[in-house]
Amino acid sequence: MKKALKITFLLPIIFLLFSCEDVIEIDLKESEPRLVIDASIQWIKGTQGNLQFIRLTTTAPYYQDEVPAVTNAEVQIRDEQGEVYVFYHTEDGYYQITDFKPVVGMQYQLSVVYNDQLYMATERLAPVVDIDFVEQTSGGGFAGDEIEIKAYYTDPADEENFYMFSFEEERTIFEIYEDQFNNGNQIFGYYSDEDIEPGDEIFIEMAGISRAYYEYLFVLRAQIGTNSGGPFETKPATLKGNIVNQTNQENYPLGYFRLSEVATTTYVVD
Amino acid sequence: MEIQKLLLLLFCLSFFSVDAQETFVINGTITDVASNETLIGVNVLVPSESTGVVTNEYGFFSIKLPEGTYNIQISYIGYQTISRQINLNQNISVNFEMTEASESLEEVVISDDIERIDIESPAMSVNKLSINTIQKLPVVFGEVDIVKSLLLLPGVSNAGEGSSGFNVRGGAADQNLILLDEATIFNSSHLFGFFSVFNPDAIKDLKLYKGGIPAKYGGRVSSVLDIYQRDGNSKKFKAQGGIGIISSRLLAEGPIVKDKGSFLIGGRSSYAHLFLKLTDNENSAYFYDLNTKLNYRIDAKNKLLFSGYFGRDVFNISENFENTYGNTVLNLRWNRLNSDNLFSNLSLIYSDYYYGLKLNFVQFNWDSGIKNINLKYDFNHYLNDQFQLKYGLHSTYYIFNPGEIIPTGEDSGINYLKLNNKYAVENALYFSVEHDISDKITAEYGARLSSFLRLGQDELNLYEDDLPVVYNEAQDIYSEATPIGVRSDSRSKVLKSFLNIEPRFSISYKLKKNQSVKGSYNRMTQYLHLISNTSSPTPTDVWTPSGPYIEPQILDQVAVGYFRNIDNGAFSLEVESFYKKIQNRIDYLNGANLIANNAIETAILNGRARAYGLEVLLKKNTGKFTGWFAYTLSRSEQQTPGRTPNESGINNGEWYNTNFDKTHDLSLTTSYDLNKKWQLNANLVFQTGLATTYPNGRYEYMNLSVPVYASRNSNRLPAYHRMDLSATFTPNKNGNKSYESSWNFGIYNIYNRKNAYSISFRENLDTQRNEAVRLSLFGIIPSVTYNFKF
Repeated sequence: MKKALKITFLLPIIFLLFSCEDVIEIDLKESEPRLVIDASIQWIKGTQGNLQFIRLTTTAPYYQDEVPAVTNAEVQIRDEQGEVYVFYHTEDGYYQITDFKPVVGMQYQLSVVYNDQLYMATERLAPVVDIDFVEQTSGGGFAGDEIEIKAYYTDPADEENFYMFSFEEERTIFEIYEDQFNNGNQIFGYYSDEDIEPGDEIFIEMAGISRAYYEYLFVLRAQIGTNSGGPFETKPATLKGNIVNQTNQENYPLGYFRLSEVATTTYVVD
Repeated sequence: MEIQKLLLLLFCLSFFSVDAQETFVINGTITDVASNETLIGVNVLVPSESTGVVTNEYGFFSIKLPEGTYNIQISYIGYQTISRQINLNQNISVNFEMTEASESLEEVVISDDIERIDIESPAMSVNKLSINTIQKLPVVFGEVDIVKSLLLLPGVSNAGEGSSGFNVRGGAADQNLILLDEATIFNSSHLFGFFSVFNPDAIKDLKLYKGGIPAKYGGRVSSVLDIYQRDGNSKKFKAQGGIGIISSRLLAEGPIVKDKGSFLIGGRSSYAHLFLKLTDNENSAYFYDLNTKLNYRIDAKNKLLFSGYFGRDVFNISENFENTYGNTVLNLRWNRLNSDNLFSNLSLIYSDYYYGLKLNFVQFNWDSGIKNINLKYDFNHYLNDQFQLKYGLHSTYYIFNPGEIIPTGEDSGINYLKLNNKYAVENALYFSVEHDISDKITAEYGARLSSFLRLGQDELNLYEDDLPVVYNEAQDIYSEATPIGVRSDSRSKVLKSFLNIEPRFSISYKLKKNQSVKGSYNRMTQYLHLISNTSSPTPTDVWTPSGPYIEPQILDQVAVGYFRNIDNGAFSLEVESFYKKIQNRIDYLNGANLIANNAIETAILNGRARAYGLEVLLKKNTGKFTGWFAYTLSRSEQQTPGRTPNESGINNGEWYNTNFDKTHDLSLTTSYDLNKKWQLNANLVFQTGLATTYPNGRYEYMNLSVPVYASRNSNRLPAYHRMDLSATFTPNKNGNKSYESSWNFGIYNIYNRKNAYSISFRENLDTQRNEAVRLSLFGIIPSVTYNFKF
């Protein structure tokens, strides 16, 4: 629904008739490197959820291909019952644990020590319902000739829910939903692309997320699309997450700490 | 408060200075001899007394003079001057009919482009453009456009090619009061800003007030664009029209009762959607509008005018999507001559802006809009040759519909949702004096008392400590507060009221015969806010009234200027400088979601804005070669500090450039009369690139490449420049036939400059590398338009 309304902003497709796009050289300033914490704990339904990763990197100049990995940090998560889970660096900035114990609704605290500075965040593990079924229709896209994939779920009516869908084919597309406009209904996560063809295998994930993380992703999505900086987009600004530098607040990190229960399914396109 | 004391003093003086000698009134209406159309702004001069007046919006004038014999001169741009001897020994009414200069004196150099500045009048920061001038300017697709023409004047710019609206002296697009026959127009653009809603054939006169705004106007803080439609020819039936690349026009006018009543009806429609169809699919985009006017002179003292405007834009994307929006305006006016020197106009206006969506693929419709009923009662009181008073009252009732979601179909999956309607009343009383203080000094001063009542609505959220936005100090993030309750009130309950006094003052001091210096101050209040955080306004934008959580915007502006006519009016020079500041300019939280948001107050913070600049306008008014050079040097900024010292505010509480800030804005507009048949025009425009935000780094999150952004609007798009040419060919008339026609050939952006409309940054999906992408809108565009009249 938000997406549908969003289309109205993209509407000036008539621009395309008279406009032209070209890649140009723009010199950009370089900011000081900042720590980036990609801490997404995902408990896939039907698994133990013991194996989890956290990735630490820093920011890089905009045109640089690789982001520098952070390999010398101390990373741990503590749950509200005092249990501590220590993550160990494997390679390329990835920190791993093999005996994490996820509990829906449990509050967890992340702490990272890097360059003598302590970064912390607190979050609860958000639950999610099951995917009821997946339906395939035609008629997607503006021209109405694309295959559409709809992953149905039933939103619980008695609470406020937020969802992140990801549809993984050759690349991963993510969509976020709230239930303001369809609370308690059976509704679907939607994916349509001109490259979907019969026989394709699409891996679908539906994660429960918090309101704050939904708001974070809402802004993130606007900044990564091909439309960022366009005239019908909001002015971009630095996107801050929920992780706070306890030693020096000015030197804030980027990224987010979140924990989700995840429903998954694989769909083969007819 | 000093200003109010001064006003009071001057006001008292006005009653002492009434002459003891017996005086009489000459009044009347000035019209065009061919059409009986009333003429606005005609100079009625009494050279022996070095006094005079100009006709008002309804062509009326009145002068009070001592008994005697006077030579009266009536002069107006493009018309032959009338000189008449009048023996004044009683009150008299004289109506003058003026003849267009070009119609009788074809061999003489036509002076219809003279738009001389009025050295003596205290009015400053006012731009007039004649419809004649506007119709000859080269424009994109050859579509004559009032708003686009205004952009060639100093102090007027927009937020990029093809963006809707316009910006005056660093003000936002929603801060312009746009009046069409006294009715407020909420959205002035078609096709997302490519064209404006005003059909040039139906327009008689327009004025843009950028500063020193008279007390008659209020409700917006940046500028006033006051447009009057033609009344229609009450002598004989006429038709005119044009066929262009994008749209075609047809207008008919004629008498209902000869010399007493007339009608005018004009329509315009685009057919760009036909081209869209050719390109590949069943998508379409088109607009149309309809202007109507009826007027009837009941007797010498009473006249009724009815005008209407209806316009719509429609977009279809296959059968999945339909978007419709537009204005409807109905207006009934009653002109009355209450006494020989008191003219009044009563207007009853209904105006409506509608925005609707039909989304079949997700099965729901969206409706939103704003309706208002407006009553205006304005008086022009011609007290004597020193004082002219203008006073009146305005009252407006608003109904805001921020949005309604209606599911279509059984299995829609979307629940019905109604965002709460909002209701408000805006009232104003004003009083303004035009005062000829001495031969050298004239002044206009007055004040507007405005009040705004936000009325009860079905549901209004309540928040802890009345703070709809909460701040997380540790994370430095603003987010919406969770309501702690809801209040429901009846419409008759006033939730919040505001009362403001808005002083207005302008003065002119004549240095020599041809030179003057002027100064002005005005305070204005704006109670409505356009909710939009996109760079360019979109028609979805929702207006919201001031109320319990949103304060009205208050502007203070000072301007000074130097004005000079050179070489007996062959050239004119205007240099002005201004400074303005605006309190309570709302700003949006990072990532604020404004779509279908029932509690807009949770997405905004209160800030301020300021702008200052220098404007130069040099015109060549006479000869075969005419035109103007306009230059603006300006700065437009806004700031939203934290509400408490612990909060960071928006952009760390620092001043930042507005989306429409342009440091340099230069334009050259020229016209050359080659011979009787051909007229050539050229424009040259150069502007600093718009302020924008570039990334200064990137990072990876969830395997996505995410840009890191620097402070808001601290970068600039590349400079914008282009040149346009046009030629108008008017064939000889065939004998006595009344059929006239002309061809307009134009080339927009002749050297095909790829001006950046925006620069966006993205990851190239093929190479996985980040790149900067320039979107440029109009390359070189030729056009041809055929116009006719009979």
